[in-house]
Amino acid sequence: MNNQLGIMGKRVWRLLSKQKAVLAIIAMLIVMLFFDTNFYTSYNILAMLQDASVNVIIAFGVTLAVICAGCDLSVGSVMCLSGIITVQLINAGVNMWLAMLAGVASGAVVGFINGFFVVKQRTEAFIITLGMGMLMKGVCQHLTDAHPISSKNLDFMKLANGKLFGTIPNLAIVMLAVGILVYCLLRYTSFGRNCYAIGGDYDVAKYSGISVVRTKWLAFVLCGTITAFAGVLLSSKLNTGSSIYGDETALMVNCGVVVGGTSFAGGIGGIPQSFVGIMVLQLLTNCMNMLGVTPYLQVVCQGIVIVTIIWLDCFGRKRKREAV
Amino acid sequence: MTRRFDLKKIMMDNLVLVVIFLLVIITAIVEPNFMSEANMTNLMRQFGPLSLVSLGMTFVIIGGFIDLSVAGIISLVAVVTVALIDPLGQVNALLIGVALGAGLGLINSILLLTCGAMTQAEALFITFGMSSVYSALALIITDGATLHMTWLTTPQTIFETIGSGTVGVLSVSFIIFLVCLAILYVFQGETHAGRSISYTGGNKVAAILSGIPVKRSMVIIYTISGFMAAVGSVVLFSRVTTAAPIIGRGFETNAILSVVVGGTSLKGGKGSVLRTVLGVLLVTLLSNCMNLLGVPPYMQVVLRGAVLVLAIWLDNRKEL
Amino acid sequence: MANDNIILSIKDVHKSFPGVKALDNVSLEVRAGSVHGIVGENGAGKSTLMKILSGVYEKDSGTVAFDGQTVERTTPVESLNRGLSIIYQEFNLVNTMSVGENIFLGRFKEMGGMRGTHAKARELLDSIGSTIDTHRFVEELSAAEKQMVEITKALSFNSKLIIMDEPSSSLTSDELKRLFQIIHDLKQRGVSIIYISHKLDEIFELCDIVTIMRDGHMIDTKPVSEVTRNEMITKMVGRDIENEFPPRAHCAGETILKVSSIKTRKLHDISFELKKGEILGLVGLVGAGRTEIIRAICGADKVKGHAVSIGGKPVKIKNPASAKRMGIGLVPEDRKLQGLVLPFSVQSNIAMASLDRISRLGFINRAEEKAIALRQINNLSIKTPSPMTKAVSLSGGNQQKCIMGRWLEINPSILILDEPTRGIDVGAKYEIYVLMKQIVENGGSIIMISSELPEVLNMSNRVLTICEGRITGEFNPEDVPAQTIMDAAIG
Repeated sequence: MNNQLGIMGKRVWRLLSKQKAVLAIIAMLIVMLFFDTNFYTSYNILAMLQDASVNVIIAFGVTLAVICAGCDLSVGSVMCLSGIITVQLINAGVNMWLAMLAGVASGAVVGFINGFFVVKQRTEAFIITLGMGMLMKGVCQHLTDAHPISSKNLDFMKLANGKLFGTIPNLAIVMLAVGILVYCLLRYTSFGRNCYAIGGDYDVAKYSGISVVRTKWLAFVLCGTITAFAGVLLSSKLNTGSSIYGDETALMVNCGVVVGGTSFAGGIGGIPQSFVGIMVLQLLTNCMNMLGVTPYLQVVCQGIVIVTIIWLDCFGRKRKREAV
Repeated sequence: MTRRFDLKKIMMDNLVLVVIFLLVIITAIVEPNFMSEANMTNLMRQFGPLSLVSLGMTFVIIGGFIDLSVAGIISLVAVVTVALIDPLGQVNALLIGVALGAGLGLINSILLLTCGAMTQAEALFITFGMSSVYSALALIITDGATLHMTWLTTPQTIFETIGSGTVGVLSVSFIIFLVCLAILYVFQGETHAGRSISYTGGNKVAAILSGIPVKRSMVIIYTISGFMAAVGSVVLFSRVTTAAPIIGRGFETNAILSVVVGGTSLKGGKGSVLRTVLGVLLVTLLSNCMNLLGVPPYMQVVLRGAVLVLAIWLDNRKEL
Repeated sequence: MANDNIILSIKDVHKSFPGVKALDNVSLEVRAGSVHGIVGENGAGKSTLMKILSGVYEKDSGTVAFDGQTVERTTPVESLNRGLSIIYQEFNLVNTMSVGENIFLGRFKEMGGMRGTHAKARELLDSIGSTIDTHRFVEELSAAEKQMVEITKALSFNSKLIIMDEPSSSLTSDELKRLFQIIHDLKQRGVSIIYISHKLDEIFELCDIVTIMRDGHMIDTKPVSEVTRNEMITKMVGRDIENEFPPRAHCAGETILKVSSIKTRKLHDISFELKKGEILGLVGLVGAGRTEIIRAICGADKVKGHAVSIGGKPVKIKNPASAKRMGIGLVPEDRKLQGLVLPFSVQSNIAMASLDRISRLGFINRAEEKAIALRQINNLSIKTPSPMTKAVSLSGGNQQKCIMGRWLEINPSILILDEPTRGIDVGAKYEIYVLMKQIVENGGSIIMISSELPEVLNMSNRVLTICEGRITGEFNPEDVPAQTIMDAAIG
């Protein structure tokens, strides 16, 4: 028992020492103690969770791709696309649930195409998904003529804006559910473990009899699917499908995942890390809002934080490489 | 058998030229306006900013890296330059603007060097972060507003000339492009620094072990990229006579698109500024032709994205 | 069909790579429950043979039968399931995963999830008496522990035959004893072992039968009790060396390079001298620190206590570029990854190190660049259709000559050659030897690393043996028998 505790303690320590993001969160929480704001209210914290939820869900999907040593920069456009498809279908009189399903399916299709290029054709993931993102953005604009379209179905809007027991936002619950689902997928299924193996060492995984192509491809499909699901939620939250959302989502989410400690080299990371990574960025925005920082200055700070954390990440690797 | 293979190879190697050729012929037949003088002038103008930015981007990609910060640099340079015309006069403003671009590029390279970033992915994220910093600074300077050059009191003859002047049949912006192209072409092929960049992109380890100044090359490529983005920015805001703090948005992807479509390999080492010119030509022609042919504007974005994906895919297949 | 005592039988197996005959008419039989040693130098064909057995390579001809069944084509996964495991020198483990999961990689479901995986891994580890915690990550393990994990992984497939490639190369002597114990236990269980090693002591202590390989040929297979150490060494290295090496040059002059106490993570207190006109050979096992020494000299790695003097003057070498300015050239180990820019022309590859010299005010003199390329192509008789041919399309030997030419062009006072003849054919090897001789006759000095002992012994004027990051001896190969040098290198 004692031994088990020791192991647990060691693991927590390892997690912390690798988690610059956790330290960043703790620092922010401490800073906020010194200011008299509404930061430490349940209302603010729940609102923050609700705001973050869409990006966090996308990050859960992206985590799958990144663990397999890939990455997906098309998620911003996929998010828009699924929302637009859903809202348009609802407005065309299709059953709400079917419309949502169609929206999610669109993400699966994009994920499948991404997977084809990355896994089958061995194209560099970040550049081809950047291209796919651009292509999908065009599709979104084409579908909507670049105008936001609102849904006429109030039930649809209630999905993401409702609150359980009148306090906990539905979105936060969905986020938790997706998180637990993907966490279990990564931790308790052979698919998930194979993802880690592929990201950790592609050749070893291949020679160990793991069907590397199928697994990694599936990871991309799931990434697209989960992203599309988040897109549907976003369109429900705003009651609108629009091509203008998510210009920065893709890079923001991928950065967030890395910020959390999931490595682009693959094989390292997971759902809790990605959650923490996105929350760093979200918390930063929230703190700055509370402190009355102007929106543009907020973007500057966010950029600086991203650059700093990625810089530290690279620098750590350099130190390791060059250690004497 | 061999000859057929060769033909295919020649076609593949010069795919861009073939496509440009087909595009010109088809559009000229369907829409006679294409060959009109007005459209040619128009084409030359559109060509300007993107081509300049892409020329700079070419070096980054040949060196095996990538630069997403050009969008931010273009916005920031545009806003700063226009804002400085009144207090400092147009010449000083222009010089400071261009120097600012180069300086921002230099900052990127220093960040990459100090953390030992050696891969394209690392460069991608750092320059993306810097891009959002630069864009946000542009927004802060103008408080989100667009600066109109018509509001200024100081004479702006230089910018008017850059924006709409012509020498004979050529627009001034096109001449600027030609000058930059000539200089960069010579730089790439004939100078020590240009060659070092190619070696760096071709095989970083071999370059380091052979005593090629890899770090200096990294500084140079990002500085050139920042400088060319600044020049592109000046040409751009001179033409539209306004400097919006989001003026550079989308330039980074379009520039990468042009470079890759032109045939410079994302894997580094291979490519040339001339190829990039073809790439830019194709991208500009594509939108010009699509406009003339009445393709709905957002369908154009779709097609452009499709061309990018196709180009990346073909680029990758060539290596296989 | 086959004798049921024989677990693995290989008959007349051939395998060639472009320009190299890696395996020539190789036959081998391994008895069930025996420990079968294979000795041979690098390049003798041991690893090619292993890769054919595991299914990474395909044989050109010949038959392989495992456990009584003829194996035609196979894949690494199939051969694992058939009961043949290979433990490579570079471990085949996923560093970012736990020990338990590595043991059952790809069999997560069959093992009943995480709990089952760790429970069964624990069971297997216990069965070989290892106490490694199955939850630890592989990247935190020592080399010996990784090896235990590999062995356990092999056992998890119920392997009937485990092939170990240089298993002792990174073990301490205590760890080695444990390994031997485990191998004995495995033998008791009826598992056969093929034990590949340089270290003859281990072969004598451990193996029942030994097979000696050289240059892709099977030289001899005998019970260990019937061979002597000397016989084995003679068969390993001994060959007709009359025409294989040019006569040794003797033109060593005053000291040109002096290195005192270099320390890095892998090196301890390395000090030596190099004389003008001398070929200095560094002998040691792979991973002993040979490459690290020369990388430290060239400034490619960071070092502590860097004290180097060239021609009597202390110098500070920050990076390969400053090494180049001081007249040190490095022909690296892996010519494709570290030497050449493969998609570039032969001309660009040759002119690569001379860029500074052919530039005036930052501009390259193209005529001079071409002249350089043509001169080296002629001097070294590099076989290329034109200077503009891409380096990737040349043969291995010609590629190597391109890199040599690159450095000869700057007239280096010290040329460092790391495995200069790896993977190139005999004719090209001889040309490179002649070239080395010319260099020292013209007053240059060479530091040479090679895993092929005869090459070092016949080319060098002086040999340093390196073991575990230390210099363990200095010899004149003309006076001292090969065996003494090898002993010193093995430590």
